[in-house]
Amino acid sequence: MDTQQPLILLVDDESHILHVVDLKLANAGYRVLTAEDGEEGLAAAIEHRPNLIITDYQMPFMTGLELCVALKRHEATASIPALMLTARGSGLDDDDLEQTNIAAVLSKPFSPREILAKVQDLLNPESLEAA
Amino acid sequence: MSPLKWVSLGIAALGAVLIATLIVVFTGTHWDRAGGDLGVILFCSVVAGLILGMMHWLVTGRLDAEIRRLAHHFDALEADDEQRPEFHSRYGFDEVVAAVNRHADDLRGRLLDQSVDRREMEVRLRISDAQRRHLEAILNALSDAVIVTDAFNEVALANEAAADLLGFDLEPSLHEPVERVVRDASLVNLIKDARESGDAGLRRCVEQRLDETGRNAIYDVSLSCVASSNPGDSAPPGASGVVTILRDVTRDREIAETKSDFVSNVSHELRTPLSSIKAYMEMLIDGEAPDDRSRAEFYNVIQGETNRLSRLIDNVLNISRIESGVVRIQRECIELPALVREAVDILHAQARAKRIELIEEPGPASCRVLADRDMLLQAVLNVVGNAIKYTPAGGTITINLGVDPEAHRARVVVRDTGVGIPETDLPHLFDKFYRVADHKNLAPGTGLGLNLVKHVVEAVHGGSIDVTSTIGIGSTFTLALPIADNE
Repeated sequence: MDTQQPLILLVDDESHILHVVDLKLANAGYRVLTAEDGEEGLAAAIEHRPNLIITDYQMPFMTGLELCVALKRHEATASIPALMLTARGSGLDDDDLEQTNIAAVLSKPFSPREILAKVQDLLNPESLEAA
Repeated sequence: MSPLKWVSLGIAALGAVLIATLIVVFTGTHWDRAGGDLGVILFCSVVAGLILGMMHWLVTGRLDAEIRRLAHHFDALEADDEQRPEFHSRYGFDEVVAAVNRHADDLRGRLLDQSVDRREMEVRLRISDAQRRHLEAILNALSDAVIVTDAFNEVALANEAAADLLGFDLEPSLHEPVERVVRDASLVNLIKDARESGDAGLRRCVEQRLDETGRNAIYDVSLSCVASSNPGDSAPPGASGVVTILRDVTRDREIAETKSDFVSNVSHELRTPLSSIKAYMEMLIDGEAPDDRSRAEFYNVIQGETNRLSRLIDNVLNISRIESGVVRIQRECIELPALVREAVDILHAQARAKRIELIEEPGPASCRVLADRDMLLQAVLNVVGNAIKYTPAGGTITINLGVDPEAHRARVVVRDTGVGIPETDLPHLFDKFYRVADHKNLAPGTGLGLNLVKHVVEAVHGGSIDVTSTIGIGSTFTLALPIADNE
């Protein structure tokens, strides 16, 4: 795999979702890492410093929001943008967005094409500079 | 003897003395020389005195009778003109009588007017009293609290609901300043502000929390101003009163909130399997499944997630069917081990998706219960599905089936290594729409699943459900069902 391609970390406790998004992004040429809960995701983010993190909102022990707050607080991951997947509409207020690097929110049921389009938006050079 | 008679005697005596004196003076008789004339003088004097006295006696007697007639006539003044006797004075009292009659008539007219007015007032008072009683009866029949305050911000009227709600005694509170009766300062300010605004058409509706009631209740406060008084009267400027109605909307709000939460929760819960279905379908349509094996796997995921959706919808529908008594219960003797195995098979894919190990411990080969198969399967699926939902990836769920011959019960025990349930939530866990606050962000849910389990196990099958839990360690749900008699 081309190591120059952006690395994306996927965090979701639903393996079906994890698998299909992983496949969609991999088919588009991205390098993808997966984690099944927030704690595992945080550890992977610190270790691999991905270009983008896609996380589910509702997860046991550490929610997607708690993961994003932890990422923002950690020096190594503070600037990594996050894409939140949620079944709760937006469900995020201004405070949530302020204390995290959540750059976009996608509501379930989402389409893999939508995710890919959003990822491409977030990872284009302008977006990276803005982040 | 009347005083006038005594006066007559006095006049007779004084007249006799006076005449004797006059005779002596005018005849020039000297007392020393009167001699034989003295007897004549005294006789004449006494006779003259007696004549005067008798004349006075007669005149005063007539006058006395006339005064008595007059008094009698005046006594009769109360009577109407027709009943009143005519009075003709022989001594010139006619004008006096006429004047007194006029005044008496005038006075009687006034008295009559006043009497009519008084009767009218009494009638009005009785009508007003009856209207007030009606008003009080209507007010007291209302479940909403009503307080009417006047132009001086004093309580003019209140009903029992207001007294109960705001904690005051009804009777002693009337005509008391509203701030002495109502302890909630913000409500008092609302009433005063409404009155001072003076806007007769003003009608304000605000939501007010009254902490004094001891519960966090929400009231819809409606304030209506009574039209302003006459400008000339002594009332302070502003409306002449305010009608305040407090409606307890706490329950309405709770129901609205529950409904809103339920709709939101159902839609969220449906979104997760729908996401998988949509995503895998799209991948298949876009030809992004790399090989036949992947395509078969995609179809399996779609099928599994469709079944999951179907179960969620069944939960929502069945709970209302059971509650309304519409559902027909079809009891039959079923093998519980087979039913548990079926549930495990159905949920296996869902558990595997979260890397959760679903272990079915060995139990009796046969254990028959008299049950509605579909309902009982749904109950077991709900309990095991819940365990999958709240057990983190890599966890374990153990299902054990046992028989307690003494209690004549079969027991399905579902033990997970999930997040655990706080002790304070355990008593409410099976309540309709109840969701553990700490779990709301962990997984979607409607709050119906366990409620349905309780209905099915206890109400439909005469069994029982029990739960024990430790935070961070896991939870154990035990479903006990009566064993079929032919077992």
